[in-house]
Amino acid sequence: MNTRQSSLPARSAPGHRFRSLALYSRSRGIPTALAALVCAALLTAWTASRPDAYLDPYRRVPLVALAPLLAAAATGASLHAYTRELDDTAVRRWWPRRLAHLLVLSVLASALLALAVPGHAQEFGAVAMVRNTLGAIGVTAGGAVLVGARLSWMPTTLYFSAVYLSAASPRVNNATVVSWLVQPGPQHGAWAAGLALFVTGTALCAARGARPEGPRV
Amino acid sequence: MSTRVQPGGDGPAHTPVRTGADLGPGRRSGVGPDADLDTSTSTSTGTGTGHENGTAPAAGPGRDGRRRIPRPGDGSARARRSAPHPLRAEWLRGFAPWAGAGLLLALAWPMAARADQWQGSWGATTELLSTAAAMIGVPFALAAGGWQGGRERRRRTAELRSSTARTPLVQLLAAALPLACWLTAAHLLVVAGALAACAPYASAGGPAYTVFAGNALTLAACTVLGHTAGRAIPFRLTAPLLAIGGYVVVGALGTRQSDVRHLAFCMAHVLGDNDLAVRWYPLVSALWAAGLAAAAALALTAYRRATALLPLAAALGAAVLLVSTGDGLLRDNPLAHRQVCDTSTTPDVCVNATYPGMLPEVTRALSGLTGRLEGVRNLPVRYEDLWRSPHPGEAQLPNLSPLGWSVVRGKVTDPRRYAWEAAHMLVRPDCEQAPTADRITVTDEAVLRWLAPEPGFAELREFSVTRARQEGDTKRLAWYRAEDEAYARLTSMSEGERRSWLGRYFATAAECGPKPSEVPSL
Repeated sequence: MNTRQSSLPARSAPGHRFRSLALYSRSRGIPTALAALVCAALLTAWTASRPDAYLDPYRRVPLVALAPLLAAAATGASLHAYTRELDDTAVRRWWPRRLAHLLVLSVLASALLALAVPGHAQEFGAVAMVRNTLGAIGVTAGGAVLVGARLSWMPTTLYFSAVYLSAASPRVNNATVVSWLVQPGPQHGAWAAGLALFVTGTALCAARGARPEGPRV
Repeated sequence: MSTRVQPGGDGPAHTPVRTGADLGPGRRSGVGPDADLDTSTSTSTGTGTGHENGTAPAAGPGRDGRRRIPRPGDGSARARRSAPHPLRAEWLRGFAPWAGAGLLLALAWPMAARADQWQGSWGATTELLSTAAAMIGVPFALAAGGWQGGRERRRRTAELRSSTARTPLVQLLAAALPLACWLTAAHLLVVAGALAACAPYASAGGPAYTVFAGNALTLAACTVLGHTAGRAIPFRLTAPLLAIGGYVVVGALGTRQSDVRHLAFCMAHVLGDNDLAVRWYPLVSALWAAGLAAAAALALTAYRRATALLPLAAALGAAVLLVSTGDGLLRDNPLAHRQVCDTSTTPDVCVNATYPGMLPEVTRALSGLTGRLEGVRNLPVRYEDLWRSPHPGEAQLPNLSPLGWSVVRGKVTDPRRYAWEAAHMLVRPDCEQAPTADRITVTDEAVLRWLAPEPGFAELREFSVTRARQEGDTKRLAWYRAEDEAYARLTSMSEGERRSWLGRYFATAAECGPKPSEVPSL
């Protein structure tokens, strides 16, 4: 991507800025990620509006774990760049763009999924959905740094599965930090854990970028 | 890119293809699951010892310094050793070992976190291992297979692979089976660890080996199924969507009440020690998954795609058998209908035959209670621990299972609390409401307090008394005072006098609405 400064008036025109944004979005598969987020929100809304899930908050536990998983996988996959070596030759710094990329998708995913969960917000509702979405995106972003963007779903999937299954233990369930993703809503320890994962993963990914996959992936 | 196609040589049939496996460890770079995923070419080309599989070994300098062109039939033992089998790279390098390690950690974590709930019970161990395989193993195997299936497309070597001599089915299996074996090995390792951790605390029954074998086969089948999906669907979210699909299917099928729930992969609905799976259930369940995987693989790669109908028919037959058999897939555990008893106490203490090793521990926990009831008449004959309501003349032993609450690793977690619960089983256990007469309720409380003093309950009572005093609740305070007086009178009796009084008291202790005149007063 040619990011050299230029004094040409066309470069600073709104049309050029929009074209750059569109090119960036297309190169990262953002439309696919957005479509996945919308699908996740629609499926969540459909499942959560069924009478049993609406009346019994504990029926929404799988939802507030699965929907963030899909949103995080879509976000993680969008971090992949086919021209990483070329990108690295750019003059402009990439970390603000990566940070903006992650933040925009995180906000969008959190908002969409939170709106998709009806019922009491504090009992496996919108609050838990936002927390889990942010935490999942954080883990996925960290995973992208370690294992590459397109494989970043793997650490999140394994981590969420393990925590979800271990939460049936009263000892683990009472530890709000360890079992943060299956806490009903406003528990401080769970929020601290989710936000810490989000901040760490996002910062790491913004600073380092996804691990280059190379031609042999 | 390590995969190089060198022009020339002996023509197209002997196009030398150098792979990462041929380069040796010193030529590889990178770490992590994405590093050195350089095996597709070696697998797809079927290179074994070089030319015999259609590829020529790399030419090297001879002893006289001139380049020696290797020819067919010229391979020495040394040369064979220097060219490892391409499957070796598939096994040891690339994504498969990392996926196996990841699954191992993901399965071991919940098993360790919930160790209190299964150590000491073969049934609970089997149930949790099956649940973990269904909820973690199956979705991950589908996703990991999907990722592996899209490998050639990501590397852009699919065309190269398709040009090689081996059949597409062999190519698919050579790429899919090592991953399947790694995931299966991870599952079996966790199973072995769990069984070893359960054995020291379990005293009856044994592991359900067929369930674990069926689960392992199912995981391998799911890997192949995911591999075919990953190869067929060119979409960057195929792998995570397969995982999500696995969760949804397990959740939608596995939690249903109908017999369709038996179609959920790896989800053997064995509940604790009550039931045992019939021997063929896990294997038929594995056939259901394996048939689908084989059908998908054949439909994708076979020259005659109609052959996929055969495994598909087998899978559907297995599915029909599973659904039609329904609850017949489980049989009663004969041990659960028996109990072992200690008849040296009053009343006798019996525990279920699935936990015979718990009898001394339970007897010890109840020793204070049974000691105070020594020689008292009109008591229940025994504490029973069967999966039914107690018969007349019996009292229910407080629950030992599910594990993790009263019992952890062969020990009663709080003996005083357990004895307090056991004492309550002697005094109007089936009554939803306390007797209407206050005197009877006061007497009941005094007897329970004397039979099984429990510090937690005593603290709660002290707190209630203090609160009633602060609120000026005279009625409540009078109640507590009457309880204290009754308790004092009971403790001040002589041994014989108290034994006689308790005998008369327990004659009506099972009735929910006794006449006040029938209950002896304190």
